[in-house]
Amino acid sequence: MVAFRSTDASGRTTGLLFRCVLYSLIALALIIVDKRYAHLVKIRQFLSVVAYPVQVAVASPFEGWHWFRDNVTTRDALRADKTKLEAELRVAQFRLQRYEALEAETQRLRALRDNTAGVTDRFVIGDIMNVDLDAFRERVLVDKGAGDGVYVGQAVLDSGGVFGQVARVGQLTSEVILVSDAAHAIPVQINRNGLRTVAVGTGDTNRLKLPYLPTSADVVAGDLLVTSGLGGGFPAGYPVGTIAEVKRDPAQSLADVDVKPAAALDRSRELLFVWLKPQAAELPPPAKPAPVTKK
Amino acid sequence: MMRDTRIRRMPMALSALVALALAILPLPAVLDAFRPDFLVLVVFYWCIESPRAGGLSLAFFAGLALDVIQGVVLGQHALALTLMGAWATHLRLRIRVFSMLSQCLVVFMLLTGYQFIVFWVDGATGNPVTNFSRWLAPIIGALLWPVLISFMGKLHER
Repeated sequence: MVAFRSTDASGRTTGLLFRCVLYSLIALALIIVDKRYAHLVKIRQFLSVVAYPVQVAVASPFEGWHWFRDNVTTRDALRADKTKLEAELRVAQFRLQRYEALEAETQRLRALRDNTAGVTDRFVIGDIMNVDLDAFRERVLVDKGAGDGVYVGQAVLDSGGVFGQVARVGQLTSEVILVSDAAHAIPVQINRNGLRTVAVGTGDTNRLKLPYLPTSADVVAGDLLVTSGLGGGFPAGYPVGTIAEVKRDPAQSLADVDVKPAAALDRSRELLFVWLKPQAAELPPPAKPAPVTKK
Repeated sequence: MMRDTRIRRMPMALSALVALALAILPLPAVLDAFRPDFLVLVVFYWCIESPRAGGLSLAFFAGLALDVIQGVVLGQHALALTLMGAWATHLRLRIRVFSMLSQCLVVFMLLTGYQFIVFWVDGATGNPVTNFSRWLAPIIGALLWPVLISFMGKLHER
C-alpha cells in the first residue's frame, strides 16, 4: 500500500489513502444506515432545505419564462382560450349535475358497509419544480413538504387521473414517484367489470403494464382502469389509464397488457396531494380463540 | 503554500456549485440520458489540479450533495466520488503530462468506474436501473474533458 501514499511537490505525504478510506467508510455507513433504518430522515429533511436554494435558482428562470409567456399573450389568444374554457366548463357542469346526489348515495351505501376507507377528505395543490432528478427514474420534485402536512406514501393526482405517490418528504419540498416508474405498482380494477389487478410502471412515461392477468382475463383495448382503493394508499375510483393493447400468446399463461396512463405524466405542472378520510370505525378486534386446554 | 490553498478554495466551491446546478437543469427527456456528470468532471479536475486544497473532501461532499438532490440512497454518490476522486488524485502527476487523448481516456475510465459503483450500490440497495443509456454519460463526459480543462484553466488563472 506504500505506492498509494503519494508525496506532494513539497515532499510531504498527503495521507491520501487514509482520507480515502475514512470517507469511503463514512459513505458506506451512510448507505447502510439510510437503507436499513429510518434515522436519517431528519438529517435528509435538513439537507433538503440546504439544497432548496440551488433548486430554486435553477428552476426560477424557467418559472420566469412561464410567467412571461402567460402574461404576454395577444387578445385574440385570450379570447380563443376563453371560448374553449367556457365550452369545457359547460360540459363539466353538465356532468356534475348528478354528482352531489351520487356522492351522497355512495356515502350512504358505504356507511351501510361501515367502510369509508379510500374516500378523499381534502386536497392541496403543489407545483412541480422545474428541476431534473435522476435521469433514469420517473420522479419529480414538488414545492410542498412536511411543513404542509405531506407524508410519505400520500396519493398524488393531476387533472387527468392518478399521477403517483410521495416517495420522500423534505421540509419544503417532496419527491413524487410517478406511476410509470419501474419501481412503482398500484392496485387497480377495470371499470367495466370490476376485475382487480396491479398496474406496474415500466420506466417509460407513456406506458404502464398489467403483468398479472391470465390470458383468459376479460380485458379489451379501450377499457378504463381505476384505482381499487385496496391497500389504502390511494382513494378508490380515480382513473389510472386506459388499456392500449392486449397481446395474448396461447403458449403463455399470462397476457401482455399495455396501459396508457390517464394523467399527463410528462406535461402536468400542478399536482393534487390527497388526504384520505380517517377510517370511520375501526373493525372490532377478532375474537380470541378459546384457550386450548390440555388434559 | 497557505496562500496558495486559500486562493483556490473560491473557484473550487463556485465551480462545484455551478456543476451541481447543471446536474439538475431541466433538459428535454431525449437529451436527459446524454447529460454528462458535470459535477464529477469538476471534482476530477480539482483532484488533479490542486489536491492540497481538499480535492477529496470536495469529492465526498459533492457526492453527498448529489445524493440529497437526486433523492437516492444517502452516501451512494459520495462513495463513488470519493473512490474515483482518490484514484484521480493518485494518478494526477501522470495525467498532467499526458496528451489530451490519453487524458480523455483516463477520464473515461474514471467516469466508467464512477458509474459502475453507482450502478452497484443501486443494485445492492434493491432499486436497480438496468437502462443501458446510463453508460453513455462516461463517453460524453470524456469528450467534454478538453472543453472543461480550457474553461476551468481560464477561470482560476484570473
